[in-house]
Amino acid sequence: MSEPEKFDLVIIGRGAAAFSGAIKASELSNGEMTIAMVGTGPIGGTCVNVGCVPSKYLLEASHAVFKPGNPRIAGVDRAKVNFSFPEVMKGLRSYVTHARETKYVRVIEGYKNVELFTGLGKFVDRKTVKVSDTNGKDIGLITGSNILIATGSRPSVPKIDGLRETGYLTSDSIWGINELPESVAIIGGGAIGLEIGQALLHFGSRVTVIEALDSLLPQTEPEIGAALKEILEREGMKFHLRARVASVTRTDRGKSLELITHKGKETIEVKEIIVATGRVPNTDYLDLGKAAVTTDSKGLIITSDKMETSAPGIYAAGDCVSKRIFLETLAAREGVIAVSNMFAENLRIDYNSTAWAVFTSPQVAGVGMTENEFSRKNGSCSCRTFSLDNLTKASIIGETEGLIKITVDPRDNRVVGMHILAPNATDIITEGAYAVRNGFTIDDIISTSHIFPSFSEGVKLAAQSFIRDMSKMSCCVE
Amino acid sequence: MEEERVKLRIYGMTCDDCVATVTEGLKKQKGVIDVKVSLRDGMGEVNINNKEIKPEELLRNKVFTRPSHYKAIIINE
Repeated sequence: MSEPEKFDLVIIGRGAAAFSGAIKASELSNGEMTIAMVGTGPIGGTCVNVGCVPSKYLLEASHAVFKPGNPRIAGVDRAKVNFSFPEVMKGLRSYVTHARETKYVRVIEGYKNVELFTGLGKFVDRKTVKVSDTNGKDIGLITGSNILIATGSRPSVPKIDGLRETGYLTSDSIWGINELPESVAIIGGGAIGLEIGQALLHFGSRVTVIEALDSLLPQTEPEIGAALKEILEREGMKFHLRARVASVTRTDRGKSLELITHKGKETIEVKEIIVATGRVPNTDYLDLGKAAVTTDSKGLIITSDKMETSAPGIYAAGDCVSKRIFLETLAAREGVIAVSNMFAENLRIDYNSTAWAVFTSPQVAGVGMTENEFSRKNGSCSCRTFSLDNLTKASIIGETEGLIKITVDPRDNRVVGMHILAPNATDIITEGAYAVRNGFTIDDIISTSHIFPSFSEGVKLAAQSFIRDMSKMSCCVE
Repeated sequence: MEEERVKLRIYGMTCDDCVATVTEGLKKQKGVIDVKVSLRDGMGEVNINNKEIKPEELLRNKVFTRPSHYKAIIINE
């Protein structure tokens, strides 16, 4: 093999973390830093191709079909929406292509200091990466003074008897379907399973979710997980909690799943199975041992809060990093932090003030600690739960199923956590993220004016409920 | 004293004045013994007393921090 090609920075991966790292490095170096970006699969990685973008498109399309049939305003009649599922999926794929082209492909073409290598990267030593095609044929060697590992993750598939032979979809493959499955079993009741599940439900599929835990979304407040389950059940979704799939077989009518639940064995018949049991990092091919980069038991790369790995000059960012929250926005932030620290900028990631979301309807979003997390750590806490029943905007639009829960440190009233179930929770959670990140108190929230009537006003009312009895408040008390 | 040679990749230099500014800035830093900066390949070689300064502290030199537009990374070999 020929001499390695030298770069200032080698980035392995080409998703959100890789792009944000490459762009930040280019900005900091006035476009002079020579960067190699190595990867396979569609440019842009999980988020734009098989993650956030198609899933949100599918959800919005499904709500457009579902909501006219379930009006919330007095005097508005129920209406049936005609739709073509194959055309919806065609539109989805077309939008994904557009988003990838405009936000990634054309963007990176504008960075003349970035050279793309299509292939798999594998460490030869701490500074050298071998690039091969997917058949294992060597493409070349590259070296980097610094290296950023941003290889992301892929859906994990549990070992279930007969699953492979019977066939299934994942969050990688579902975007290729053209026919709406009449019925689906979703293995896994996390964010991905619930989002895809509700979208298919709103289009008209019969959806059953099988979850090993005894509640939904354990990362949030238990009352939010319980309320969301109730809403989804009302819409027709079925749940088997504390259940696991023992085996799967193909039948004349479709696919059969044998479940083991707390009640005993149960069999369900569906047309399609979707596996949504989590994700595994794309680190197995990297030969990290050659670079002395250490991983945890799941293969996730262990980093410092400056995104440094165990090997000097090698950083990691995104879904391949060992942490508790996995988000596109977080991956992008980690990419920026990793690269900035190559310039000794001393930036650190703050997972505690990172907001996360589930885009069901209503949406779930959270930041910081739950009541239980803070209590376990500090012995006591103070929290209030504000029901959307008491929010004027929610009442006007008839979407009062939801709540806002704020947890504060009782010593100084600093907001340490905010968790929301609301139609636009993903928009209003940012106020919680500011509060947690900057150590704002409930008084800071109360003394900031909020638009009336709006869902953001609910955050202020949740803060006010620490100091007032909500039943004795008019809607205008500041 | 333990002398250590640190190689830098320096970005943002366009002329000999830039070389002079970066060189002067680095020379003023405590623990820096000698500095050589090349405009042609954007490289710098800095000899430091590593009892007084760590290599990454060179990157936090005033000449590499805002509002200066020069930036540098350490070349790990």
